[in-house]
Amino acid sequence: MGFARAFGVMVYRQLKRFVKARGRLVMTLAQPIIWIVFFGVGMGSVFSFSNPVAESFIKQVFGGLDYMTYLTTGVVGMTVFLGSFISGITVLWDKQFGFLKETLVAPAPRSAIILGRSFGDTLVVLLQAAIIALVAKAVAPSINLAGLPAALAYGLILGMGLASAGIVISLRMTTPESFQVVMNFVMMPLMFLSGVFYPLDRLPLWAKAIATANPLTYAVDGVRYWLTGASAYGPLKDLVILSAISAVFIALSVWEFRRATLD
Amino acid sequence: MSDIVVVEGLMKRYGDVEAVRGISFRIRKGEVFGLLGPNGAGKTTTIHVIATLLRPTAGRVAVAGHDVAREAAEVRKRIGIVFQDPSLDTALTAYENMYIHGLLYGLGGEELKKRIRELLEFVELREHANRLVRNFSGGMRRRLEVARALLHRPELLILDEPTIGLDPHTRARIWDYIREVQRAEGMTILLTTHYMDEAEELCDRIAIMDRGRIMAEGTAEELKSLIGSDVIIARFDRPACFRDPPIKECRELPDGRVEMVVENAAKALPQLFDAARASGLRIVEVSYRRPTLNEVFLHLTGRELRDSPSSTTRPPAFMARRR
Ligand SMILES: Nc1ncnc2c1ncn2[C@@H]1O[C@H](COP(=O)(O)OP(=O)(O)O)[C@@H](O)[C@H]1O
Ligand SMILES: [Mg+2]
Repeated sequence: MGFARAFGVMVYRQLKRFVKARGRLVMTLAQPIIWIVFFGVGMGSVFSFSNPVAESFIKQVFGGLDYMTYLTTGVVGMTVFLGSFISGITVLWDKQFGFLKETLVAPAPRSAIILGRSFGDTLVVLLQAAIIALVAKAVAPSINLAGLPAALAYGLILGMGLASAGIVISLRMTTPESFQVVMNFVMMPLMFLSGVFYPLDRLPLWAKAIATANPLTYAVDGVRYWLTGASAYGPLKDLVILSAISAVFIALSVWEFRRATLD
Repeated sequence: MSDIVVVEGLMKRYGDVEAVRGISFRIRKGEVFGLLGPNGAGKTTTIHVIATLLRPTAGRVAVAGHDVAREAAEVRKRIGIVFQDPSLDTALTAYENMYIHGLLYGLGGEELKKRIRELLEFVELREHANRLVRNFSGGMRRRLEVARALLHRPELLILDEPTIGLDPHTRARIWDYIREVQRAEGMTILLTTHYMDEAEELCDRIAIMDRGRIMAEGTAEELKSLIGSDVIIARFDRPACFRDPPIKECRELPDGRVEMVVENAAKALPQLFDAARASGLRIVEVSYRRPTLNEVFLHLTGRELRDSPSSTTRPPAFMARRR
């Protein structure tokens, strides 16, 4: 059985599951939209001034963008970050409900199975990110949607990396409770230390250090560049570092899944 | 090469739990082979090794001449397995579960669709094909898993406790499917069970397993002949054993009863009563049976094995089945 075919089957399975679980689409769209509406509107009003001097100062802080544009473009990246990680974690459910065994005895390359799974889930997440980008455009009209395909390419790389990270964790995780621990103590801090909500350059050193190793930092910066032209590191540096971090997670997931047994 | 499965000196340890302690057996092409033993005997562990899902701690296991550790892909192609615990995608329909399985095993196109229809018909789920598995009963799920395991026409079908937790009606149906598959396709089947009637009903050969070891192996008849003809089980008011003819063998069971092997219990019982009275023993309880696999198991391990719950009363629907 060929690699491409097994890869395709798993993409198909993940898309099928998504179509069946329409509730999931609503759920995963709800959270970023809530951030945009409630956080964005609130913070946007704090940062908006009628005084042109203050206005230009704020724009300087947020890389030349008004706060709403800054935030919403960040939320596009955040959607991919959380969505694909959670999709990777659902391997835990496959473990719980037994479907994992079905894929483990299949005469198909394990690497194709796990990569196809990540890719299928990432496609779903990219669809959500695209919807968020449209919502963002509605509240932040200066967003340039022509850059969306390029922005989604960064999303694809981030999504594959985070889905793979979720898979690695859930293959090693023994209880669903550890999921909450990972969400609260790893994912939440990373979400904030990434430039989604505020720029990183004035943060204390320890926070900067975390942000520097955070793949979301580079994905958000890249997405923001393609949607607005504003960037802290430049799109090429973003692409290179993001790809490197994701590649590590992808390789780890393949390695873990190839040697997975029921021990 | 008529042995499709060869297990030699298989050992499997989980941490410091020795689940399988050096077992050997062979399964011939076309036969139904059963691993019979109580919970914790190591049956599931054994078949997970055969199915390439666990690495053996020691020993050698080959399926159709391919080593399970070194040529896992070759082995996986040739087996279909129904796990003891469900392994379906409950978020998808029965049809989609079948379809994805078919694609993963290299099938496709019209042929796959036709085969799915046939098999769903076979396990009587055709009209439920487009329902989500989440809404299926336990029995429906098990039937779907049987159909799915057959989809790619495996050389070896592995069934781990195929009727555990099922009602007698569904159990009878599953038994029926197993017989049918065996008759129509001549497929080799390896099944595990802790119900002795199930093993006796379905299996050509049985290996009795307990605490990680195989205690005996053979046809049901061969296993029963390990004890002789009839077995008398009695309880006296104090420990005692009789070994004079017609009693061929006598041993005390851990629960205090005494097991006596005789040629013909109907004739031997009056003699036993006389012998007991002569030695001043009172008989508290006594029964005799033609040996069943339970007696064999009791004989080999000192503990009892169960029948499947109320399997003696076959529901009428079973009789009325047309296939
Ligand atoms: N993953 C595991 N980790 C540790 N011990 C296990 C594991 N799986 C099974 N065991 C132990 O190994 C023994 C055999 O189990 P198993 O093969 O499931 O027996 P059976 O299928 O005959 O009931 C049992 O004592 C069980 O508790
Ligand atoms: Mg078992």
